[in-house]
Amino acid sequence: MSTGSATNVPDTSVSAGNGVGIECRSVTAGYLGSRVLHQISFRITEPSIYVVLGPNGAGKTTLFRTLAGILRPYEGEVYIGGEPIDRQSSRDRLHYLAHMDGLPDGLSVREALEFFARVEGAQLGDVNRVLDQLEIRDLSAKFPSQLSAGQRKRVSIARVFLRERSIYLLDEPTANLDPKVAREIRELILKLSREKIVLYSSHNLFEAREIGRYVLVIKSGQISRFDRIENVRGSRYVLGIRVLQPSPALAAYDHEGEYYLRELSGPEEVPAVLRELMAQGVQIREAREMENPLEDLFT
Amino acid sequence: MSASATEYVSRSLLSVTVRRASVSGRFFLVYGTVISALFGVLLAHFSGPSFATSYPLFLPIFGVVGSMGGLLVFTSDRTKGVLEYLLAYGYSPRRLFANVLLTTLVLVSIVVGIGVSVSLGVYFAEGHTVTSTLAISMGVYAVPMAFACAAFASTVGVYWTALSSPRMGMTSPVGLIPFIGILPALVTLFAIIATALSGPLSTSTLLLILGSGMGLAAIFVIVLLVSMGRLLRRERLLSPA
Repeated sequence: MSTGSATNVPDTSVSAGNGVGIECRSVTAGYLGSRVLHQISFRITEPSIYVVLGPNGAGKTTLFRTLAGILRPYEGEVYIGGEPIDRQSSRDRLHYLAHMDGLPDGLSVREALEFFARVEGAQLGDVNRVLDQLEIRDLSAKFPSQLSAGQRKRVSIARVFLRERSIYLLDEPTANLDPKVAREIRELILKLSREKIVLYSSHNLFEAREIGRYVLVIKSGQISRFDRIENVRGSRYVLGIRVLQPSPALAAYDHEGEYYLRELSGPEEVPAVLRELMAQGVQIREAREMENPLEDLFT
Repeated sequence: MSASATEYVSRSLLSVTVRRASVSGRFFLVYGTVISALFGVLLAHFSGPSFATSYPLFLPIFGVVGSMGGLLVFTSDRTKGVLEYLLAYGYSPRRLFANVLLTTLVLVSIVVGIGVSVSLGVYFAEGHTVTSTLAISMGVYAVPMAFACAAFASTVGVYWTALSSPRMGMTSPVGLIPFIGILPALVTLFAIIATALSGPLSTSTLLLILGSGMGLAAIFVIVLLVSMGRLLRRERLLSPA
């Protein structure tokens, strides 16, 4: 595993089980002549979840659209399984979930899934399977306008489970969802990633740490980092402690709201600190990480 | 995807789009069809032989209004990311535009088919017979012009939608397109009136003007369709990022 730069070609260096990978070679892309991505290069071959992180406007959606073959690069090439993305055989190897729901007006949930099944070459019987798998059978007869944002997203995600493919491009699949639904969807995607390559965009740093095994950071249209998530460490780890009663043992701690703060070198120090405080009679109500180390990637 | 699968999917896309356009654009479809039939029945019953020259003037307007569902679906699909989805799975922009055009033509055939058959049924039931005026006005002008106007409206609407900023609720030209869609019919009628005012209007001159009007509309549509690859880039079909 190497760290990616704008012009290097970072490689996960572990071969995929099915041999189908995705590769970007010096890709520059954007909209109507305006360049959003600049000389992006990377190669992914190992089945896993790759969280594409970046602040709003960094180019995450543009990258996904380019990888999916929707936008044609101004320069460079995208390859799926060694073949250019503009071949239908390459397209047939990937699923693309846009940040918009993409549910057609005028079709019920079941009809929409049947339509997707035909477009993607799945069997109509698969529609019944995903209705149960995503627990949306009770929505079958409803139209998109009758669904909540979370239900629409769930139906939209059901589409990518209609037919197995090697590569999944999921553009902010949990955006605007309540935490429970977002967690359920992350669990589904985690199961999927055991055998598949999943590129998952997000600007949620906590979500990235929870789901991702690799992180690919985009800033200003360039890859600023591509690495295993455990190798990505911020310069600070701040522990926040909430207590039932103030204690002299916490006199040296900083405050932030109800939390007493202590900067540590890493999460491995947390148990010792808590043990020490409890030994001094501090009644701890809650302990949590106050800052996500991935924040450093955005600055 | 194999060739047969592609063909199956394409047929499926058209049939699904027609269904969706009939549902989403049901107001336009019902309005166009009902008004078309009602106007025809009233004219056939009350205006006698002048039905042959009056009803054909209105038919293209009903056709354009009734077929707005195709454009409505295209506009909605662009905003909601359905076009983006289809592009990702291998559909070309030209295929998507052609799908809208074909959907529009299917819808206009419903409006025109019901309107004309009901109207002519009442007209003949009133004891009138087929005349050369009726045959020319319906067969050479009204029905082909209804299709030409609907195709014109659909193509202009697709360009309008695609060239507009893809912001929610700001891209639908559906409200204005019926007025633009009847331009070929209006221009043709003005040409006929202007020619008639300057002297006697022979049948051959009339046919020439009618043919020219529809021909120009058809050429305009074909030129826009052929130029789509260059004039409308695929990013024009994407939802807001």
